Amino acid sequence: MDFGLLFESYAAVWLNPQVILMTLLGACGGVLLGAIPGMTATMGVALLIPFSFGMDLIPSIGLLLGIYCGGMYGGSISAILIHAPGTPAAAATLMDGYPMCQKGQAGKALSVAMFSSFCGGVIGALVMTFLSPVVANMAMNFGPGEMFMLAIFGLSVIIAISGKSIAKGLISAFFGMLLCTVGLDPTNGIPRFITYKQTGLLDGFQFIPTLIGLFAVAEVIAGVERIVSGEEKQEKSNEKIKKVLPDLGTIKKIWPNILSGGLIGTFIGAIPGAGGDIAVFVSYGASKSASKHPELYGTGIPNGVAATESANNGCSGGAMIPLLSLGVPGDSVTAILLGAFIMKGITPGPMMYISELPTVYRVFAALMMANLAMLIVGCCGVRFFAKIVSVEKKLLYPIILIVSLLGAFSINKNVFDIGVCVAFGVIGWLMNKYEFPLSPILLALILGPMCEKNYVRFMNIQQGNFFAIFRSPIAVVFMAIAVAVIIYSIFNQRKINKRTAEAAE
Amino acid sequence: MKKTQTVAFANLIGSILFIILGIWAWIQTGKFEEVSNTYVQASSFPRIMIVGMLIFSIVLFVQSLLKLLSMKEGDKDALAAKAASINFVKDKSVLAGVVIILLCIGFVALFEILGYVICAALISVVIMYIIGKRNWLQMILVSVLVPLGMWLIFFKVLTVNIPMGPLQFLCDLVGKI
Repeated sequence: MDFGLLFESYAAVWLNPQVILMTLLGACGGVLLGAIPGMTATMGVALLIPFSFGMDLIPSIGLLLGIYCGGMYGGSISAILIHAPGTPAAAATLMDGYPMCQKGQAGKALSVAMFSSFCGGVIGALVMTFLSPVVANMAMNFGPGEMFMLAIFGLSVIIAISGKSIAKGLISAFFGMLLCTVGLDPTNGIPRFITYKQTGLLDGFQFIPTLIGLFAVAEVIAGVERIVSGEEKQEKSNEKIKKVLPDLGTIKKIWPNILSGGLIGTFIGAIPGAGGDIAVFVSYGASKSASKHPELYGTGIPNGVAATESANNGCSGGAMIPLLSLGVPGDSVTAILLGAFIMKGITPGPMMYISELPTVYRVFAALMMANLAMLIVGCCGVRFFAKIVSVEKKLLYPIILIVSLLGAFSINKNVFDIGVCVAFGVIGWLMNKYEFPLSPILLALILGPMCEKNYVRFMNIQQGNFFAIFRSPIAVVFMAIAVAVIIYSIFNQRKINKRTAEAAE
Repeated sequence: MKKTQTVAFANLIGSILFIILGIWAWIQTGKFEEVSNTYVQASSFPRIMIVGMLIFSIVLFVQSLLKLLSMKEGDKDALAAKAASINFVKDKSVLAGVVIILLCIGFVALFEILGYVICAALISVVIMYIIGKRNWLQMILVSVLVPLGMWLIFFKVLTVNIPMGPLQFLCDLVGKI
């Protein structure tokens, strides 16, 4: 590791006013969006990505990482105050956060959540800084066969994120992979599912309009439906917050939970497909098991809040490890970040550590700054953010829709892209309605082209002999891990379904 | 509750739709041009994906069919639960969702003629009305100021030209400032 260049990159990022401003703006937007139940960090990043086009890479990545880190913390605000997690990653925070609020300790819960989020984020960023170059170094030996198997490994986690039905998750994934093949064949330039006259689709479905459609437009349609049917109620918070940071005594009590949560979050975040929503429960469980008083968990203790909040922010650093070192996104937000890198002409992966090393170090610095920005924004605005949960959805949904449609247009300045966005909005709405998960489509859209490109290269090099892949130990290891992940996920999902059924009875 | 209103039945219909999509896509891949001197044709990769989609659609079809055949009154599992509706004639909330889709289509059709600000203002006022907002001052202020603000950010800060239709003069006006 080139420490001189690392410090130089940190200085270049931390002393750049544009990066500071964008990261603070991103953190602010992320906390606001995260605090509103139903609005996730993924949606925030998807919505704001078009705003980053006119910027240089690092300010735009700072903006997006700010939203990512801010969104992770923001989710805890509504979880603590109104028992409704703003994001899935804050789902476990309400187990102790809300009881603390009921005991009149809302301010303490929010300050613990903010401090733990910051510490967890810093742990994640540090681990990422020192671990991702090692992984990238190993990945330097990868050829098309290994890269193909790496993509398959990335896709294997689809089962883990499929939700109740594995069959539905896999249908979504194959559907997403099929969508990737629309347009010109990348090797021979042969049109697939289109003609040369359909110029708008020659490059296939553009990633950002598709993403905005699936996640933002679909959510607006579903949200309008919920409001009309009376399912969506307006939340209100009248809680007054006195302290913005936890006192020294509390920090002494919670630091082991923060440390373990940050590390658990980082390592779970580094597994492609496993995000903050999984990490928080693992961290909460580990913290409870290690405690001398496990019976107190769930009754409103700061240790529970610290364990979950440090874990979900630790994920942000963890998820960046496979993104930067292997070019495989760790979760849905990093999948969008991958799109942002590609649009700026930089392809994350092992080669980035050779050709774009200063950029890699600047991304490390930007993530660290995003965590600090989240802490600053949190300290300054925690009293105000508590009111965000009361934002009127009747005003919010139309705003999200018009911002989404403009975002879809702004990429290529093409009306056709707005049409694509709306079409995917409808597809996303219908698939959500009938519980076909959308995350596998997102993962497939990202990994599909990588998978096909390397498959074609490998087959041509090996003269059509696919079984030659077994000659590569790295490819075999990826294959074995993929199979293990699939088997584990199937058994795990069965267990979850069984428990859910028992709970229902 | 009728069996046709359950999640299992919805899954059955969903699986049939994906099977139809898979068969259609397979037929399309037969029309792709073939190239010599390559081990992987343009149709190879899509076909693998189609086969995967068909296999799991059939799995879902069989699972749903078996569940429907064995389903009894009072079953409490997830597949026997009531499925979401898309009947926009009977269900007002679904109708609202369909109207939003139609508004989006209208937005796409009129985007280049009326421009972003007018289209966005119209669409947001209508949506707010549909979801029960009746404070007209707030509705008009939000519907006009948000698109204007968005346009201004894209035009001045991000230097992205957005169609403005009859409000094109605003570009010249802001350009002069």
